[in-house]
Amino acid sequence: MAKQEKSRAKSSSPIVKFFLVLFMLAMAFFILGPLLWLAIHAFVTNWTYPNIYPDGWTWHWWTQVFADSALEHSIRNSLIISPIVVLLSMIICLPAAYAAGRMQYAGRKTFLIGMFAANSFPKIGLFASIATLYYALNLMGTIVGVIIIQLLGTIIYMTWIPAAAFASVPRNLEEAARDAGASKFRVFRTITLRLAMPGILVAIVMSFLASFDEAQGTYLVGAPSIYTMPTEMYALVENYPIQVAAVFSLLLALPSVLLIGLARKHIVGGQLAEGFQIK
Amino acid sequence: MTSTKSGVTVESLGAKKAPRLSIIGFFMALPPLLLVVFFVGLPVLIAFTFSLGFTTGPNRVLSIIGQEIHKKDHWWGTFAAYKDVYHDPRFAGDMRTTIAITVISTTLVLLMALGIGIYQRMIGGRLASVMTALTLVPLFVPVVIAAWAIHTFYAGDGFMRTFFSQFGINFPTITSTVSAIAIGTIWTSLPFAILMVTSGLQSIPDALIETAQDAGAGFFRIIRTVLIPLAITPIVIAGTFTGIGILGSFTIPLFLGPNQPTMLGVEISNFFGAYNRPQQSIVMAFIVFASASGIALIYIWANVRSAKQSGRI
Amino acid sequence: MVNSPQEDGLVLNGLTKILGGRVIIDNLHLVVKKGEMVSLLGPSGCGKTTTLRMIAGFLIPDKGNIVLDGKDVTTIGPEKRPSAMVFQNYALWPHMTVFNNVAYPLKVRKLTKPDIEKRVHDALALVNLMHHKDSRPGQISGGEQQRVALARALVQEPDILLLDEPLSNLDAKLRVKVREDIRDLQRRLGITTVIVTHDQDEALSISDRIAVMNNGKIEQFSTPQELYDRPETEYVANFIGSLNHIQGGYENGQITPGTDVVGIRPEDVHFSKEELPGSYPATVELVVPRGHFCEVYLKRADIELRAFISSDVPRAGSTGFVKINKALIYKDGKLVKVA
Ligand SMILES: Nc1ncnc2c1ncn2[C@@H]1O[C@H](COP(=O)(O)OP(=O)(O)O)[C@@H](O)[C@H]1O
Ligand SMILES: [Mg+2]
Repeated sequence: MAKQEKSRAKSSSPIVKFFLVLFMLAMAFFILGPLLWLAIHAFVTNWTYPNIYPDGWTWHWWTQVFADSALEHSIRNSLIISPIVVLLSMIICLPAAYAAGRMQYAGRKTFLIGMFAANSFPKIGLFASIATLYYALNLMGTIVGVIIIQLLGTIIYMTWIPAAAFASVPRNLEEAARDAGASKFRVFRTITLRLAMPGILVAIVMSFLASFDEAQGTYLVGAPSIYTMPTEMYALVENYPIQVAAVFSLLLALPSVLLIGLARKHIVGGQLAEGFQIK
Repeated sequence: MTSTKSGVTVESLGAKKAPRLSIIGFFMALPPLLLVVFFVGLPVLIAFTFSLGFTTGPNRVLSIIGQEIHKKDHWWGTFAAYKDVYHDPRFAGDMRTTIAITVISTTLVLLMALGIGIYQRMIGGRLASVMTALTLVPLFVPVVIAAWAIHTFYAGDGFMRTFFSQFGINFPTITSTVSAIAIGTIWTSLPFAILMVTSGLQSIPDALIETAQDAGAGFFRIIRTVLIPLAITPIVIAGTFTGIGILGSFTIPLFLGPNQPTMLGVEISNFFGAYNRPQQSIVMAFIVFASASGIALIYIWANVRSAKQSGRI
Repeated sequence: MVNSPQEDGLVLNGLTKILGGRVIIDNLHLVVKKGEMVSLLGPSGCGKTTTLRMIAGFLIPDKGNIVLDGKDVTTIGPEKRPSAMVFQNYALWPHMTVFNNVAYPLKVRKLTKPDIEKRVHDALALVNLMHHKDSRPGQISGGEQQRVALARALVQEPDILLLDEPLSNLDAKLRVKVREDIRDLQRRLGITTVIVTHDQDEALSISDRIAVMNNGKIEQFSTPQELYDRPETEYVANFIGSLNHIQGGYENGQITPGTDVVGIRPEDVHFSKEELPGSYPATVELVVPRGHFCEVYLKRADIELRAFISSDVPRAGSTGFVKINKALIYKDGKLVKVA
């Protein structure tokens, strides 16, 4: 049933409404302000403090970014590594998430808490600790090393959210399909997987973002031979004018913005929140 | 008591099936477990022995490269590196900063999430939806960009100072102060907390709120006695995840904070790299981990409690 | 508290409610006497809940007003209105014990602790739930939850009690018992009550009067007996009890050609082996046992009639004589004659 109309005395007074709008504008300013400020810099020649207007407008920084082979390399690396990481993460974690989703409560809890515990060790500490192992396995400065580091950050999303999604598929829907003559695999494909799909989609998006945005570990393991876009940012910030970093930020934000459209409905719809409660 | 009875049957059915299912299930669950055990558990364990002064075996390379390495003097090791850290004047300041930022930012994030969540649940409307959508933006912005954007926004030649200087007001430079770290951590933590809290509040049935109204309860009493108790699990989860995230943050304090004091995440990296004191660096990582574990216990308690209440265990 | 039966408890005066751009409640009038138990009866979606929510104060009517014990309460919020509502799914707070659920309205009213304790105990005793006072809602059965919800409403000593399909989540046996309990309590306390239901049996068995609703309007408001004997519209006649529909006219116990609708209750169809004055011959087509009576399909020429017969049930294929004791004649859906 549709939500009951909330027409009661709550129809807030103009003063309350005014403060709410004011609060919202403040929030908008707090959240969007820095992003817009940085974005504008991608198109300005220079901005002399304390002028309210920039000195001039230009596309110069964009051409500079695309001409710079190091920057281009990092973009290519990011676009290759992140999809691989997500795919591997799915192969490794989704069966486990399915098993966890179907386990008794106690078993599921142990599994998910284990994943969570691994995730709550401070990343920077882990990356420092992992160096020993990486040297021993000759993973330092290799693509495989970077992929593994990024993979570690996606596990929590790729196990927790799909596990909750699988757990919430009603058994009787599967039983009804079995009853209708569908094979086990067909039931899984047409019922279970279909119903769990929104959760899996959210997990994919979150994992992609986690991998695409990962900087600390990638820097420690990959630099100086492998740079991805975020680790390139570290270098950019120190060595280039702010405008180049601004251009780069816009490029780096692009995949995220595209993904918003893909999964926004399910993320806002509670799939993400559902995934972080053990049921 | 029909519910108990059916619960028993379901469980005994499950128990009958359990052996076969659990073996297959176990193998399905194995790959991520192995990955975590090998690439998180093992390094952390080795690092722990290193922090206790075990400098042979896998720790040999680091103990040769690093400076101020303490070797074990008992069979179980030594606390010398821990003592080093404890007596380091930088550590005291960093620890205080880290705790203060974690507590303040987590509290503010929770308050904001509760405010927006309750507003959306009790009043709703377009304004509330727009506001919630707005607060989700940081979820999709890479931390590096967020940190850099906030850095430039509050910098000496940033927007805030530029804007206020038009009116002759000398707005302070926030970048490179502890306040900037707080702003940055709040900015990045907001979406997750709001998603958790809002979804928890939205899943409370209308009827439970309306009965309270019918019984004569006012706005704030309903919030206190119905909304918050019923959504306490997602609220606690939001709080613990936010807290743990902020505790171990690195990029935000690196870009936004002062050189001293800063958060432990940055100091771990400094000790490991710039100061070349890996043993002390790892000690700090374990201190952060211990604090995070404390917070994680609250999280587990909340989950178990909600499972008990809904009769799952 | 003496209730003179004439005094008006609740007056709904031309209520109109528009939701989602649709007129859900259309100029609805209803007068409930003090201490009376009235059912709102109608199919799902006809606007019963909406009406009840306006009485409770959760919705404010777009037109019309609501008078409770002589006081206009149209725009008073639910928290100030002296009404108490029992929701369809009981809406018990899962995080509070049974005791605390019932005590909640009293705590809101800032009663003293001993007072609260006493009144909650009284209310729980009234619904026979003292032994469950420390249980959580999740630990007790549906019927018990229902009684807790009732106790929580009664403890407020409301001027009017509102029940939204209070029995729909109970199994059939329990439903009959609980509805008698509710009726009993309501009588004893003399509390004005409006109960929403889509189950005619329920309405017929517990109400003083029934308001049959259709599409946001009240089709008929009368006692159960009257509703059965004299359904004012074809809609009501169909909704309450069973009815044979025959297109035609009716004269001296005979169906004649015509354009009206003749409605005959199966109970009013008499069948016997011997010919009686005014009866006509018919064949028994089918006999369906229905427990303590049988449903018999009778046919004469092109007219088919169902009859409920409890003794001397004829066999299928046999012949005999049909006599119609009573018929309701409708023109354009409105009752024009009872013959
Ligand atoms: N908030 C609302 N917005 C739009 N339509 C509504 C709303 N609430 C109820 N309705 C519609 O009003 C009609 C009557 O609803 P309701 O009073 O719940 O019916 P009943 O209780 O008799 O089953 C239904 O068609 C329902 O879809
Ligand atoms: Mg209804």
